[in-house]
Amino acid sequence: MRRSLILAGIAILGVPGLAVAADGGGGWVGPFGVLVAGFAMAFAAGLCGLGQGKAIAAAVDAMARQPGAAARIQTAMIIGLALIESLAIYVLVVAMILLFVQPIK
Amino acid sequence: MGAIEHPPIFSLPGVPDHVTYTWLAMIVLVALSYAATRRASLVPAGVQNFMEVVLEQFNGLIDDVIGRDGRRYLPLIATLGLFILLGNLMSLVPGLERPTGNLNTTAACALVVFFAYHFIGVKNQGLKTYLKHFMGPVVWLAPLMVPIEVISHLARPLSLSLRLFGNMTGGHILLAIIFFLMGLDGLIGWALSGSLGGALVGGVGGLIMIAFTVGFLYPLKILVSFLQAFIFVMLTMLYIAGALEHAEGHEGHGDEHTQEHL
Repeated sequence: MRRSLILAGIAILGVPGLAVAADGGGGWVGPFGVLVAGFAMAFAAGLCGLGQGKAIAAAVDAMARQPGAAARIQTAMIIGLALIESLAIYVLVVAMILLFVQPIK
Repeated sequence: MGAIEHPPIFSLPGVPDHVTYTWLAMIVLVALSYAATRRASLVPAGVQNFMEVVLEQFNGLIDDVIGRDGRRYLPLIATLGLFILLGNLMSLVPGLERPTGNLNTTAACALVVFFAYHFIGVKNQGLKTYLKHFMGPVVWLAPLMVPIEVISHLARPLSLSLRLFGNMTGGHILLAIIFFLMGLDGLIGWALSGSLGGALVGGVGGLIMIAFTVGFLYPLKILVSFLQAFIFVMLTMLYIAGALEHAEGHEGHGDEHTQEHL
């Protein structure tokens, strides 16, 4: 199990190297930039999902305990969700810079 | 990105596209306000009624966050909110170029908010009192607190502009790719090309993607447009409240309101 995971990791990391070798050794940061952009976005989306899940769980719990305060709790929950989501959006902006603007080839 | 995107349907020469559509949003808002106040009557009807409901919502939000005397900042807050809402909704229509999907427009809005809340704080409390609150609660913590406060204040317009820009552009890229995948270059084109495999897979796949886009993606993006405009307005109000509240210490207005409504 662990050996197959290690082999898969080496294979994924080696694919951009093959691309660079076929390219003739031009820029080697570009292909790795694409890989990093994909992984960074996946990581950020996963952690953002976890954080928002905890926020919604706490908000729903509080609304169940005190239904009279539901409107204020819902407003605070929406603001908190948007602020957590903006962290994932920052990672999206960096990924777009790596993919489309390509500052280092 | 330019390869799969259709250029907007109307562009002026020499003017960038997002500026043209900013002007379009401005014209729409001015026309709406003109139509609402043309025959202003005490009992509102029609467009005036609708605009009064919208502005009452803004007033309610301002009362909650800043307090009663925040109502004089209603022009700034409502203009920002309605302009950003209209700009966000324009990003959903294929054929129009989005004003808020460009970092220039969102950075302009964020800089307006930044200068506005500092100016409001300085005007209300005087320069020395306002600057003294950057130094923290105790005087000898000042060398530690001032850099932290300065950095956190500088991060606010950055995060405001990047949040709005990232949400709008991310959604737009997603829509562009899905239109490309299911459009005449993709699934629907394969279905219409006459081959049996094309008609089967392309037709069914194309119909599923159309249903997915219309039924799920568009409502989600409309929700995100409203939500991002609401978040921008809410954060503006919180920054203004933060700039105004230093005069009374750190009580906070929320506690007073809770005590009243109980």
